[in-house]
Amino acid sequence: MALSAATTAATEALKVNRAPTGVNPQEVHRWMQSFNWDFAKNRTKYPTKYHMANDTKEQFKIIAKEYARMEAIKDERQFGTLLDGLSRLGAGNRMHPKWGETMKVASNFLEVGEYNAIAAAAMLWDSATASEQKNGYLAQVMDEIRHTHQCAFINHFYSKHYHDPAGHNDARRTRAIGPLWKGMKRVFADGFISGDAVECSVNLQLVGEACFTNPLIVAVTEWASANGDEITPSVFLSIETDELRHMANGYQTVVSIAHDPASSKYLNTDLNNAFWTQQKYFTPVLGMLFEYGSKYKVEPWVKTWNRWVYEDWGGIWIGRLGKFGVQSPPSLKDAKQDAYWAHHDLFLLAYALWPTGFFRLALPDEEEMQWFEANYPGWYDHYGKILNEWRALGCEDPSSKFIPIQWLEKNGHKVYVDRVSQVPFCPSLAKSTNTLRIHEYNNQLHSFSDDWGERMWLTEPERYECQSVFEQYAGREISEVVVEGHGVRADGKTLIGQPHVRGDKLWTVEDLRAAGCVFSDPLRN
Amino acid sequence: MAQETTRTTRRGLLDPERAAAILKVIPPNALDTQRRMGYFVEPRWKRLSEYEALTCYSQPTPDWIPGGLDWGDWTQKFHGGRPSWGNELTELRSSDWHKHRDPARRWHHPYVKNKSEEAGYTQRFLQGYSAEGQIRTMDPFWRDEMISKYWGAMIFNEYGMFNAHSSVVRDCLGDTIRSSATFAAFDKNDNAQMIQMERVFISKVLSGFPESTDEPKLVWTTDPVYRGARVLIEELWQGIQDFNEILWSTHCVYDPLFGQFVRREFFLRLAPFFGDSLTPFFINQTQTYFQTTRDAMSDLYLTTLCDDMQFSSLNRRFLRLWTDKWLSQTVTALKDFMGLYDKVPVIAGVTDEASVKEALTRVFSDWVHDYVDKIDGKVDTKKIIDLIMTGYK
Ligand SMILES: [Fe+2]
Ligand SMILES: [Fe+2]
Repeated sequence: MALSAATTAATEALKVNRAPTGVNPQEVHRWMQSFNWDFAKNRTKYPTKYHMANDTKEQFKIIAKEYARMEAIKDERQFGTLLDGLSRLGAGNRMHPKWGETMKVASNFLEVGEYNAIAAAAMLWDSATASEQKNGYLAQVMDEIRHTHQCAFINHFYSKHYHDPAGHNDARRTRAIGPLWKGMKRVFADGFISGDAVECSVNLQLVGEACFTNPLIVAVTEWASANGDEITPSVFLSIETDELRHMANGYQTVVSIAHDPASSKYLNTDLNNAFWTQQKYFTPVLGMLFEYGSKYKVEPWVKTWNRWVYEDWGGIWIGRLGKFGVQSPPSLKDAKQDAYWAHHDLFLLAYALWPTGFFRLALPDEEEMQWFEANYPGWYDHYGKILNEWRALGCEDPSSKFIPIQWLEKNGHKVYVDRVSQVPFCPSLAKSTNTLRIHEYNNQLHSFSDDWGERMWLTEPERYECQSVFEQYAGREISEVVVEGHGVRADGKTLIGQPHVRGDKLWTVEDLRAAGCVFSDPLRN
Repeated sequence: MAQETTRTTRRGLLDPERAAAILKVIPPNALDTQRRMGYFVEPRWKRLSEYEALTCYSQPTPDWIPGGLDWGDWTQKFHGGRPSWGNELTELRSSDWHKHRDPARRWHHPYVKNKSEEAGYTQRFLQGYSAEGQIRTMDPFWRDEMISKYWGAMIFNEYGMFNAHSSVVRDCLGDTIRSSATFAAFDKNDNAQMIQMERVFISKVLSGFPESTDEPKLVWTTDPVYRGARVLIEELWQGIQDFNEILWSTHCVYDPLFGQFVRREFFLRLAPFFGDSLTPFFINQTQTYFQTTRDAMSDLYLTTLCDDMQFSSLNRRFLRLWTDKWLSQTVTALKDFMGLYDKVPVIAGVTDEASVKEALTRVFSDWVHDYVDKIDGKVDTKKIIDLIMTGYK
């Protein structure tokens, strides 16, 4: 053996330790920062106007094997609970039907966010230069795959056990029919992955995860359990245990750019845009799912919103970032106003277009109407009256041939879609702060509902060009659109969407066709 | 939050009065007969697997990216108007980007479950190995020069390949591709960490052994043995935008040749001759990951893209082009690596010229069989091996 004298001497000096010895993850992790090396051409494929520091550390010091160990334990608990305990209790079909329908949307739409967060975290893994920071984003990539599969597992579980599997079993295909989908993609898909890498991190981590994760994931579990659903909490609370890591990644992203004085020039604008865009969708949609998609109420949405979005996030979380020059977004106070009426406005539109849903929607009953009036004084005179009029016109009954969107049309209430947020709005009926403005650009008309979005579009119109459902479907009869989008059940004739959650009087394609309802583009007519 | 739930709300499943009220409004009959989630997904095997049900079509692409179920445009684009995802992200064409399946049917849960078992077994193995004092049989030269420095330098090879995947996971056009690529990347990161784990372990049982990554990094960045590999890895990491070119060149050209040779034919093959039963334990985990990834990549490129109904010949042409491009650099990397034989004693039947040639032949014939034949490619293996052997002195 080619053994030098020096090596031999060194070897003899070595003492063998025969105590049973393993290696803990931190002992490997502490070398991770050195896995990088400098080379001239190194670059990121997703440029950012910010400058991320080279020595950024991560808080959760885990290596691949340890990650797998921790997640496997959490999985065992969660899947054990679902597949053993809760299955034997028949819990998959013991939640109130209104909530069972809400979970078709909540679980699948959250899945979209989780799925796109995989790509978003990968983009940040690419753009970070510090090895530890890359490692932190890698763990997030893996977590988001986990969450995608967990959300899917809820729909999978309900497909097997809930009395109405339609929609749970095909949300990934039928979700694209209705008016809530494109806005969903704006906040939970494209907003995370298309843009300056740090801007995307602000969207995903500073706003999506730090601000809306609480209401979305944690509040959903409270509403779920009030309405008899113990499946959702088992899964969502397990998801939430990973989210802390992601908020820490967001925090580290800000830390990594904070050393650069130029950062604060852009950061507050990016934060404001991200906050406004996301709240524009989540504020009405979450409020609507909770209050109109349940029988048993937990608390008024406006209260939840104030506690988590306004005080917790806008105050405490953003406050912690104050030392890096981060300010509370100026749009926060406009959003606070919207948190009162926006979800009621949206419910009118969603219900009016119920056949395009992959879930069943129901009108509030007498007791619920009282709850709405008690918590939102003035609710009945506006929303309650309209909903009762629809009910009186037979909107729930297939023999009526009446779809509420026809009432809106007949009474001159045009429904527009905001080009930037993709959220539908009806200026003549809204009690929230929506106001209509229309611009022409590239021979196309574009509608907007607020200053913040309009300003984003005016600066970069080429980023927001997506057509709305009304533009896409203009001139087409509604049942034709629904059939084309697969919104029909296994019997080939009954619709997936329904205007009630009863077991009888289900609408069929024929019933819908008989209503003779044709889409029109409000910008053209 | 859990306490708050109990405090403020009654649980609908447990509160008798509420549970009864709920049961009353649940219709006695199911409203639909289709109880399989993702019933419209085309199953690869006999029936739709859990992996397919949970993964397929989670990617929300519009139908102008083949296979997508959505319609219309992206709702927000990059500055300047580049779309979130688009067909221009790759030169390859598919009639359905959702068609790929991982033959191991891995979704997140089975993936971490397997690795978690490997994690547990690794620690138990290390404890047994150290309690026996097995390290005493490892040749000090092999340990301090070859394992610490030259095997140590492979940290950066694996870590560089891992980083080449970030843009793949961002850009690829299908959900099953995304999970296969992520798992392949995660394994590469794990491999790099396992090399360092072995070094940390040796330093814990033998005081004086350096656990620092300084020496291996110096070898990686300056030693001529790894020059070709380093130049290639740097290009792989940042130089390519096309997600398919990255996956193909990493997993179907470079790693099956350079990676397999260095791991299997050099370190794994030589270790027993130096009394090293530790390194093979780690390398064999890496080799298991290599085979699982090989299956996934074979499905993606050979089963799915090469046999695409519409684009088979175009895809094969690009794969051949990329193979040629990356093969010449891989050959340079191997030629440079031959210099390492100069640093070890000649072991008859293992490190002599004829044996090294045989080792290269094993690696190349595996590769030709696994990939080259299947894309109608042609390589002159003998000529390549002769060229590589010019590095052997
Ligand atoms: Fe997540
Ligand atoms: Fe997350």
